[in-house]
Amino acid sequence: MGFLSVFNRIYDEEILGKLDFLKNIGLFEGIKKGQLIHVLESLQERTYLKGETIFAQGDIGRALFIVYSGKVNLSRLDTGGQKGELIAEVNPGEFFGEMALLEEMPRTASAHAAEDTKVFMLFKIKLDSLLYSRPRVGVVIATHLARILSARLRAGLEKPAAN
Amino acid sequence: MPLDAQHKKSYAQFILPSILAAAAVYFIVLAKGAIFPFVLSAALAYILNPLISYFEVRGIKRAYAVAGFYLVIGVVLSLGVYLLFHLLSYDLKSLQQEWPTYAERLQVYFTNLNKKLVSNFPFLASVGLEQKLQHLLEMVPQLLLSLLPALSLLFIVPFITFFMLIGGSSLIDYLIDHLPSRYSELILHVASRIDGSLGNYLRGILTEAFVIFLIAFTGLVLLDLNYAAVIAVIIGFSSLIPYLGAIVGAVLSSIVAYLQFGAILPIIKILAFFTGIRFFDDWFLQPYIMKKAVDLNPAVILLALMAGAEIGGIWGIVFSIPVTCILKELLQIAVELQETEFRWKPKPEPTRISIPYT
Repeated sequence: MGFLSVFNRIYDEEILGKLDFLKNIGLFEGIKKGQLIHVLESLQERTYLKGETIFAQGDIGRALFIVYSGKVNLSRLDTGGQKGELIAEVNPGEFFGEMALLEEMPRTASAHAAEDTKVFMLFKIKLDSLLYSRPRVGVVIATHLARILSARLRAGLEKPAAN
Repeated sequence: MPLDAQHKKSYAQFILPSILAAAAVYFIVLAKGAIFPFVLSAALAYILNPLISYFEVRGIKRAYAVAGFYLVIGVVLSLGVYLLFHLLSYDLKSLQQEWPTYAERLQVYFTNLNKKLVSNFPFLASVGLEQKLQHLLEMVPQLLLSLLPALSLLFIVPFITFFMLIGGSSLIDYLIDHLPSRYSELILHVASRIDGSLGNYLRGILTEAFVIFLIAFTGLVLLDLNYAAVIAVIIGFSSLIPYLGAIVGAVLSSIVAYLQFGAILPIIKILAFFTGIRFFDDWFLQPYIMKKAVDLNPAVILLALMAGAEIGGIWGIVFSIPVTCILKELLQIAVELQETEFRWKPKPEPTRISIPYT
């Protein structure tokens, strides 16, 4: 009992919670819990208050965002560049901005915090470092990225056909 | 909102940060002597932080990770210092006994050298080489005494570092959460780039210095040179400054070998040994340890060292290379930002493939 209470005092439950959270993210599926520690080491946390701009359309993208808590609205300007149209809501456990991990290109949409939101950011430079130092982890993430992009492309091609 | 009022609001938001920044600079200028241990502590905390983070992401609370680290490092250092002083005291005792003989030999050597030089080049008599050497030898104890206040840093710096390590992450988290939201991605990108290259450089150079210390110590013991421990420690510390370690080692060891053996062969052996260390460092250690660090041109390193010495003396030399790493990374990022954010170059083209999706 004494040992358990000492262990509980030393051990940080929050970290365990974060690792469990990451385990359920599609991008990290297949990475063992022990190796998820290296992913957690590479992530940067930040809290955005309700209404704050996370990034704007046209900004150069450098990170992928994973929503830990709260909600993010993604919107895109219409062809005239005047009015922003809501294109998606991102909830806890979902991620956005993954294109930034492949190419440093301008963002194709804007992201705003719809409520107080905590996100994890994975920067391209950190993914490159993971690929180099932990290839097993890096390759899993790269494979998932390729699948996501393929799915996006397929959806883009199937959409006009469905219409 | 009218345009004028908007302008006023946009200027007004910078008033408080500007006043705070000016006050901080004024305070630093006034109390620069007191700030210095904090700068050293911040640098040490920065170097040690990955080790604490290693335990933190494995679920150990930060305060316990720091306390545990200090406990372990305290035991290891006490043991290491005890062993080192044991070896050093033996060396220092024998140096104390043999110093008069060595000093006499050195003086005789320089007197003869001076006589020869003056007989060949009479104008050197006016330079007074012998008096200058005498003055230099008199300066040595003063120089050693002037280093004593620096010893207090050995106690103050770990103390401040302890609290910086415990509280450091919360301060950084606070700063990150209060960055302008839209630019936080860019600012964090710049910070992680600098952190990547500077952190790798600092950790790399510390590992390199430690490996060189071990090799030098083993080699000098095998070569049966006196004061191997003292010389190896000096080589280890001087290896923190690029290229200096092997040079200092070669010069010091050659002098000791001359005094100890009085023959040319041991000096040749020592010079060959340190040439070997230099090549081993260049071909194996640096490519392996420093592979992810900033690649600095030797000429830039030399300029940085000289500028560092000019600005801040010995500590200027110690900090010159890390500061140069930051400056080089900032310069690279600035050029990249000019190309991407401010469109100096044409808009980057996305990767295009002519074969359609199948």
